[in-house]
Amino acid sequence: MVKLSLNSLSKRFGDLEVLREINVAIERGAFISLVGPSGCGKTTLLRIVAGLEPATSGAVLLDGRTVSAPGGDRGFVFQSDNLLPWRTVFDNAIIGPEIAGRAGAAQKDRIRRLLRLVGLEGFETYFPRQLSGGMRQRVNLARALAIDPDILLMDEPFSALDAQTREIMQTELMRIWEEGRKTVLFVTHQIDEAVFLSDRVLVLGRRPGRIQETIDVALLRPRALAIKRAPEFVGYVDRIWRLIEDDVRASVIEEHA
Amino acid sequence: MATIESSSADEVGRAPHAAAFPRARLRGLHFAGLISILAGLALWEFFSRVVVANALFLAAPTQIFDAIYRLAISGQLWPHIAISSAEFAIGYAIASLLGIAIGFVMASSELGKKILQPWIAGLYATPTIALAPLFLLWLGIGIWSKVLVVVFLVLFPVTINTEAGLRTTSPRLIEMLRSFGATPRQIFFKLSLPSAMPFILAGLKLGIGRGLIGVVVAELFGSRAGLGRLISQSADAFNMPELFAAVVILAVAGIAMTAGFTWLERVLVPWTRD
Repeated sequence: MVKLSLNSLSKRFGDLEVLREINVAIERGAFISLVGPSGCGKTTLLRIVAGLEPATSGAVLLDGRTVSAPGGDRGFVFQSDNLLPWRTVFDNAIIGPEIAGRAGAAQKDRIRRLLRLVGLEGFETYFPRQLSGGMRQRVNLARALAIDPDILLMDEPFSALDAQTREIMQTELMRIWEEGRKTVLFVTHQIDEAVFLSDRVLVLGRRPGRIQETIDVALLRPRALAIKRAPEFVGYVDRIWRLIEDDVRASVIEEHA
Repeated sequence: MATIESSSADEVGRAPHAAAFPRARLRGLHFAGLISILAGLALWEFFSRVVVANALFLAAPTQIFDAIYRLAISGQLWPHIAISSAEFAIGYAIASLLGIAIGFVMASSELGKKILQPWIAGLYATPTIALAPLFLLWLGIGIWSKVLVVVFLVLFPVTINTEAGLRTTSPRLIEMLRSFGATPRQIFFKLSLPSAMPFILAGLKLGIGRGLIGVVVAELFGSRAGLGRLISQSADAFNMPELFAAVVILAVAGIAMTAGFTWLERVLVPWTRD
């Protein structure tokens, strides 16, 4: 059953064509990654789905209904944690329900359970400045889950973390996802991260951003970190890398020019 | 899972540990400040008693404290303090509320900013205290002319800081709240206002010193009572210990209120520390 579909979505910023004719259908409970070189519009695409950015043309359909503004059916996990420094972990996590005007006792219980789920039990009264980067991203994730969204939109949430912490967070995310089976749209520039997490990887090309290839990842779940060394895994990574290699080179040269 | 928990605990353990070190050093600095003040007072005492040896030109600290004591015992001091306090408090309260309101208008409306900005910037840079004689003419010799001077001096730092604070609201955090469907009103109260708080408090803190100057100078221009009045009376009578007494009381009030604000900052905006 299709949960989210993007129908010939296009986006321009003035003369710059960022996204061209994006067509995607995502089934309920699927974990989908968007990979591509910098400047391919993957974050813009996510922001359009979130309703933070209007599309120039085309539509985003959630359960068949067009969405154009932010809503409680979509939870956004930001690249930088975006926690409010004057709020504790708990008060940061509950901000979604609070904005929706339903931060009652039942919600508070739920938030406590969510914080336990993301591994933050006992840290409810800590302030963001007392936490490490990895722990802040856990709050970021719990905050998005707190509104019990149909879809999680994740914008390179682990990119600011060191390599080891990132791997831990990937397995943690898998564990959490297995429990709730939310539909996830995950943006990353790390190919191995995309392959490790996803049921399907959408490979985006740049200028204008368009879907270059869709790759189904047929690795069994649950996946352990060790799978990253398995030949099938490496095969997927290799294939995706070859698809975007030229684009990545072009974007690197452009950034240094 | 066990390894994650323990590594998380380690990461958290660092924060309080790191904070303990500068705190110990601060206590030493505090002690140095106290010694410096005591040494300064001793030097002052010595200088005025032995070198100048004439209270008309320089009153010694002991003579000043004696003057404060006598003024307090005789009951002369309290009306002065009461009048000056009232002038300061009323003016400061009006300026704070008005300053925050104007700062808010300037931050939330581009047109509002365009209209108000030249006035705020211009009047902030103008020594409006020179207008005190005019205010005296308008509002009489009572407290209201002084209140107006205080308002003029305190209003602008509060306005400018409020506006700057509200304007520096992080766009990333606005976006975060928007993603949860927050209304502009919710964004203001849950984000803009708390993130502007450190700025607003800093503006209010700046206003303390300016407000005290306003009270005293306005009273010097003409008044029936108040610490400024006490200063001009004492000067006319060449009673320098009493003149100093009024100045010391003002200094203590300023220091106490500033310290109060520092404490308030620790309570209200603890996230800005370190």
